[in-house]
Amino acid sequence: MRKITLAIAASLLVGAASPAFAVDEPENMIKYRKAVMSAIGGHTGAIAGVVKGEVSFVGHVEAHARGINEMSKLITQLFPTGTDNGAFKDTRALPAIWQDRAKFDAAAQALQDESAKLIEVAQGGDAGAIGAQLQNVGKACGGCHKPFRAEKK
Amino acid sequence: MFRPALSQAVLIRAGLAAALGLVVFSAAAQTTTRPTTTQPTTAQPSAESVTRGGYVLWAAGCLSCHTDSKNKGQPLAGGRALPTPFGTFYPPNITPDRDTGIGGWTVEDLSRALREGRAPDGRHYYPAFPYTSYTGMADQDVADLWAYLMAQPPVARANQSHELPLPFRFRALLGIWKAMYFEPGRFAGNPAKDATWNRGAYLVAALGHCGECHTPRGALGGMDGDRPLAGTAKGPQGKKVPNITPHAKEGIGDWRESDTTFFLKTGFFPDGDVAGGAMAEVIDDGTSHLNDADRAAIAAYLRDLPPLPGP
Repeated sequence: MRKITLAIAASLLVGAASPAFAVDEPENMIKYRKAVMSAIGGHTGAIAGVVKGEVSFVGHVEAHARGINEMSKLITQLFPTGTDNGAFKDTRALPAIWQDRAKFDAAAQALQDESAKLIEVAQGGDAGAIGAQLQNVGKACGGCHKPFRAEKK
Repeated sequence: MFRPALSQAVLIRAGLAAALGLVVFSAAAQTTTRPTTTQPTTAQPSAESVTRGGYVLWAAGCLSCHTDSKNKGQPLAGGRALPTPFGTFYPPNITPDRDTGIGGWTVEDLSRALREGRAPDGRHYYPAFPYTSYTGMADQDVADLWAYLMAQPPVARANQSHELPLPFRFRALLGIWKAMYFEPGRFAGNPAKDATWNRGAYLVAALGHCGECHTPRGALGGMDGDRPLAGTAKGPQGKKVPNITPHAKEGIGDWRESDTTFFLKTGFFPDGDVAGGAMAEVIDDGTSHLNDADRAAIAAYLRDLPPLPGP
């Protein structure tokens, strides 16, 4: 009896927590793209640990660089029309993305190019060179974030 | 090429020279606000002075405001719109063009502008030009910056008027503002602290003018001396500017010094996010060009600030 009650309670809880939004709805898109961006940030943060000399995993950098490169290929799909910070409060994506889409796509391409170079540099295993190329990756991140992302409130 | 490629050795020498200048200067215990110059204006500045001046330019972050990058303006030729709660400022042309720039300026003129907030004709500058911080600049840095600026290609580009509402349009009122909020005087340093700390303090407070954005301001735009670098909900561009004191929760108390130096070099936060907005410009046009020792000095100084909550 007790087990059955628990089972019912659990299913009710799951029901309450299940998404109220349909597949690919803007809220879900925003949540997903933030997860992808966090993945990129996670990899850059990890590489930064190596460049700063906090950890000795120079051999890991290539894997992180590949992670950034793979994620960067998804970016242009993550910004469907109407998912800007004017329409939704949980995003810092500026309407400028859709006003100058060509510039936005070029900026996303720049991250693909710079992260591809980072893969190559990482194979060399020189932490100094990795740091220098990570700086170029950072510039590519900034190339999108400066014109297209609102500052934190 | 405008942006100088400085060798590490030159940078270290420049840093040492500046640090030395600082020590000599604090020892002299200046009591006058009248600038004394170490260099006669008629003399041709040395190549070393020009090189050092290029470094001072990075440390002082002159480029961001004095270059209209958005409209592909020439470096240092001015005209970039700077919207603030007090109106829109258009920083002037500081290339050595005789008619539209500062080609006619002596090193004394530059010194008076940077450290007293006055134009060669005696007019007051608006404190959007951070002379409230630059007033701390060492003589040698002013002389070197002058040498560098005069060695740049002159660009003919006429200045435009600021767009300011009443009453800010009345420049004469600036005299009153300055009497209330402007404390002229060279950076004195703290003899109880080591050279790294003092270099960091000089870079943060005088050249880097970090407080201009990171220190909260009162209703009339004076910096709040009780809350240095504690951040503000409404910065000069109306946006939130973070607290950079070592407060554990609300400041950067959880940043190691290596996090700070890495951020100032690359723009990456410890969590892997990247700086945007005004700080991205500060990094691109300033701190990323400094030498490692100077970035470390900034980090050490910030680490030692009194932790304050807020904003």
